[in-house]
Amino acid sequence: MKEQLATFRSQLEEFARKHRNDIRKNPAFRSQFHEMCAKVGVDPLASNKGLWAELLGIGDFYYELGVQIVEICLATRPHNGGLINLQELCNLLRQKRKHDREAVSEDDCLRAISKLKVMGSGFEVITAGKKKLVRSVPTELKKDHNEILELAQAQGFVAVDEVERRLSWTLGRAIDALDTLLDEGLAMIDDGHEDGKRRYWFPCVSSISSVGADS
Amino acid sequence: MQKLGDFKLPQFFNYPPYFTLQPVRETREKQVQLWKELILEYCRTQKIFVIGLEEEFPLFSNPEIERSLSHEAREAFVSALVSDGRAEWLDKGHRKCLILWHRIQDWAEIIINFVKENGLEDSVMTVEEIRSGIESRGTELHGLDRIILMRALKLLEHKGKLAIFKGTTADDEGVKFSI
Repeated sequence: MKEQLATFRSQLEEFARKHRNDIRKNPAFRSQFHEMCAKVGVDPLASNKGLWAELLGIGDFYYELGVQIVEICLATRPHNGGLINLQELCNLLRQKRKHDREAVSEDDCLRAISKLKVMGSGFEVITAGKKKLVRSVPTELKKDHNEILELAQAQGFVAVDEVERRLSWTLGRAIDALDTLLDEGLAMIDDGHEDGKRRYWFPCVSSISSVGADS
Repeated sequence: MQKLGDFKLPQFFNYPPYFTLQPVRETREKQVQLWKELILEYCRTQKIFVIGLEEEFPLFSNPEIERSLSHEAREAFVSALVSDGRAEWLDKGHRKCLILWHRIQDWAEIIINFVKENGLEDSVMTVEEIRSGIESRGTELHGLDRIILMRALKLLEHKGKLAIFKGTTADDEGVKFSI
């Protein structure tokens, strides 16, 4: 078994050498390559000095992505409270790297973030409904908050009565959760709608978070 | 991107909660900052010198998202500009405000440069000439609000760079430069 794995690893190296360019230029190919590596217990990102990094230079690639992700998260934090939609993050990342010919996928973002996580930077990916959100401030989001974020994805905002009704919560529970999200800077109130009902907007689930990104 | 004439509006202008004063301090600070920048930039590009809080002003409402700023919000944003030295109330009731996208001392500097460029170092001009004469055409001084111009001139007078004297009628005060 050990021997078999060793053979497989050397074949993987051979493969990596041969397809070096594809791995670097093609995000889908890169993602598949990562999967193959995981299967044989090789982490090409584990060290920047190892054979893999030398072979592919992908350690540098993810390191650079990581730095850019941190920059974007910091720049958009005043607006979104430190929680950003992965898709949005990826778009901003592509804008930032538009001079670079290498394409970046969401999978690449996630890998770069997991590398950041190792450094103890407090970056984390959470799932709310269908969306993945990247958190760059160490707020502890409880299940209730997560459910509200999920609900807000439909329109970008929720109203108190909607939270009560859709999640079958008491008024108190809904208000508590919404107040916490406000305090954390993850929500903003909107009293301007003609129906007179206060709306709670969540910049992290709308694409508006590019506000301030270039300032 | 939404536009007002040739002015490109920032994205936050289309996000409804920015039209409601935010209760949480940090969120509000960011909100106030964005509005301050927008008001100054808009006034600078459109050459607007005075804003009336109770009057129609294109930035105070966004029909596209059906939101407009409450009086309280307008006053909060403009007051923040006042504390930055970028605006001054014209009345005690805080209804009209002078917007200083250049501070008074910057306007004074612009006047000095204008005088030097035109070789007017020891000439006499009327206040009206400075803001609408041939020499100022194409410069930032052209069309400058009279109140701001007078404030800048008084600052320069205080520094001994010029003397203001009364003309025959109230609206043709003269200026004798001595730069």
